[in-house]
Amino acid sequence: MGAVPQLVISTVLLGGIYALIAVGLTLIFGIMRVVNFAHGEFLMLGMYLAFWAFALWGLDPYVVLVGAVPIFFGVGLVTYALVMRGVVKASHNVQIFTTVGLSTALQNAALVVWTGDFRVVRPWHSGVVIRLGEAAFNLSQVVAFAVAVLFTAALVAFMKWTRAGRIMRATAQDVEAATLMGIDTDRVYRLAWAIGLVCVGIAGVLMSPLYSVYPTAGLQFVLLAYVVVVLGGLGDMMGALLGSLIVAAVEVIGSYLVGSAWKEVIYFVLFIAVLVFRPAGLFGQRGSETLGA
Amino acid sequence: MSKRRGLPTALILLTAVTLVSAALVRDGEGQALQGEYKVGVLEPLTGALAFEGKRHLEGMEIMRDMINERGGVMGKKLVFAVGDAVDPTAAASEANRLITREGVKIITGTFSSRLCGAASETAARHNVIYWETSCVDPRFNKRGLKNVFRTEIDATGFGWYNIEFIAKHLAPRFSLKPNELKIAFLSEDSSYGQGVTEAARDRARRDFGMQEVALEYYNFQTINDFTPIIAKLKQLNPDVVHHIAYSNDAPLFWRQSREQNFIFKALVHAGATGYGGADFGKATGADGNGPFALLEPGPGFRVEALRPEGQKIEREFRDAVQKKTGSYPLGGHQLAAGGLWVLKLVLDQAKTDELEKFRSAVMALDLPVGSVINGWGIKFSETGQNANERVQHYMLQWQNGQLVTVWPEEFSTLRAKWIPLGAWDQRK
Repeated sequence: MGAVPQLVISTVLLGGIYALIAVGLTLIFGIMRVVNFAHGEFLMLGMYLAFWAFALWGLDPYVVLVGAVPIFFGVGLVTYALVMRGVVKASHNVQIFTTVGLSTALQNAALVVWTGDFRVVRPWHSGVVIRLGEAAFNLSQVVAFAVAVLFTAALVAFMKWTRAGRIMRATAQDVEAATLMGIDTDRVYRLAWAIGLVCVGIAGVLMSPLYSVYPTAGLQFVLLAYVVVVLGGLGDMMGALLGSLIVAAVEVIGSYLVGSAWKEVIYFVLFIAVLVFRPAGLFGQRGSETLGA
Repeated sequence: MSKRRGLPTALILLTAVTLVSAALVRDGEGQALQGEYKVGVLEPLTGALAFEGKRHLEGMEIMRDMINERGGVMGKKLVFAVGDAVDPTAAASEANRLITREGVKIITGTFSSRLCGAASETAARHNVIYWETSCVDPRFNKRGLKNVFRTEIDATGFGWYNIEFIAKHLAPRFSLKPNELKIAFLSEDSSYGQGVTEAARDRARRDFGMQEVALEYYNFQTINDFTPIIAKLKQLNPDVVHHIAYSNDAPLFWRQSREQNFIFKALVHAGATGYGGADFGKATGADGNGPFALLEPGPGFRVEALRPEGQKIEREFRDAVQKKTGSYPLGGHQLAAGGLWVLKLVLDQAKTDELEKFRSAVMALDLPVGSVINGWGIKFSETGQNANERVQHYMLQWQNGQLVTVWPEEFSTLRAKWIPLGAWDQRK
């Protein structure tokens, strides 16, 4: 029983990290119907951005965060124009091969340019430990969680209450009807891709004080992001946040009770069960998984 | 007439004496090399293991240049055909390419226990020699393959050494008998981690009756949080944590143990990655004091404790690494280079890469501990494994940002500190 407070706090904080990564992935899937297999590599680029800014100019990752938004928005626009525009209306197979290719290319470019060395970002807050009774946690983790909640809320608000958000939702619901209504769907896709990359880029920057930075760092997290997106409901951002907490709970409590070796078995069984029995996800609307297909 | 004939004769004699003297002075250095001899080098150069694979390749290249300065192999210039073994499938296909396209008769590599099995199976199908310098999977030499040889210790040896150190060096300093020690085994779940951990568990229980309080395996590529494991271990209160880790999980476990104020008396690891890699020091800085890693020798190593021929090659190798990388040789450099040097000794003896004669030369090599790089000795068993007791290993400890040699004490000028480990803020 003494470990319960620690397990609860670890679940919430780890869930926040997963949510940061999954929100961008679910946005891209929800609007564009593209499963971005290069998502982990954009996370890795966010981590390297924080690393180099810290190593070269001593910039704290929280300062870098401000610059990361326009940088990753720009990266999103460029990669959309060069890579995604040509395949966004192609079959899912083509999209999968394209994003897997993009993933491998980015991963190996990082390996060539920055080598395979593990890099570390150690700002002052990475060593700050907060103790709450029996539980302890890291300040950088708390900030990552807070930003995840704020960002998810902001994205939900953007999608719900802005004109651009309504246009994006309309495109997601029926791309042909949206086109007939005069919506420039290419512009919508470009915006969704860029915002998705901003989300994951910010996640990378925020995670840099917590995890080692290396060319395949994204792989460590992105598999979980797919599970989260399926659990939360494909394209559902609040669902992604809740799905993240569920995956984190399975991971933390499963590791504690039955051992870490079992955690992937547990959440992938859950993943398959959701796909089979509730394909729209635990929190998604029935049928949403087929929208736009 | 005699003067005219005498001058060329004297010149010829002078030249001959000079050449012979030069050869005697530097073990063949400067010999004209007759053509090239190509060896296949297989390392993970992309993907998750590239950080260490590239270090191994660098060690190979440094040693290749040293070998060529000393007469090459079998009188030929040693050259490499390099393959990228990103995963077991690629290891097998790249081995195939090196054999069929590059025409190599010997392949060496491959750092990881995930890769050496697949690559050596391919080599066996082509009757090509597989010379392993790094992987420690105990199964590697237990498949009845006549073409596989390994210069590095196997995981059984890692486990043996670690428990030896814990029982005979740590336990007395904890004022405990070995059978009073509570030990928790934590490991990544590849064949490297499992091989070392199972060997250590077996010896801890069988030879010393240590009390195993936990056994926890995890996937190093997906572990993002150790707090549930730490919460569990805290309740079990082990004296020693035996942790086999890679480079991303070792700093994470250490940092989160500090955050959770998990106090144990010692942490012991084996291998050139995880706590045994330079990346751990970079990741933890001053907070990284204390963990032990079983490795090749580091700073504090008494080179003079080696045999004269071992001292010579060890010093020259260190200088070469220092010149090329600006640092002390890292574990990857030492394993790869040490193994390649032994391959040169064998080839020079065998004078051929024909498997049967090569194998006879391998079996005939009998060098005591301290004879070659890393203070190793050589005596291969019929399975192709260099005897664990000849592959001298050393316990290193992180002390103020540096991994230094602390055991066996006859090989070290430095001594282990923080035994037992105190509070996290008192390890300065």
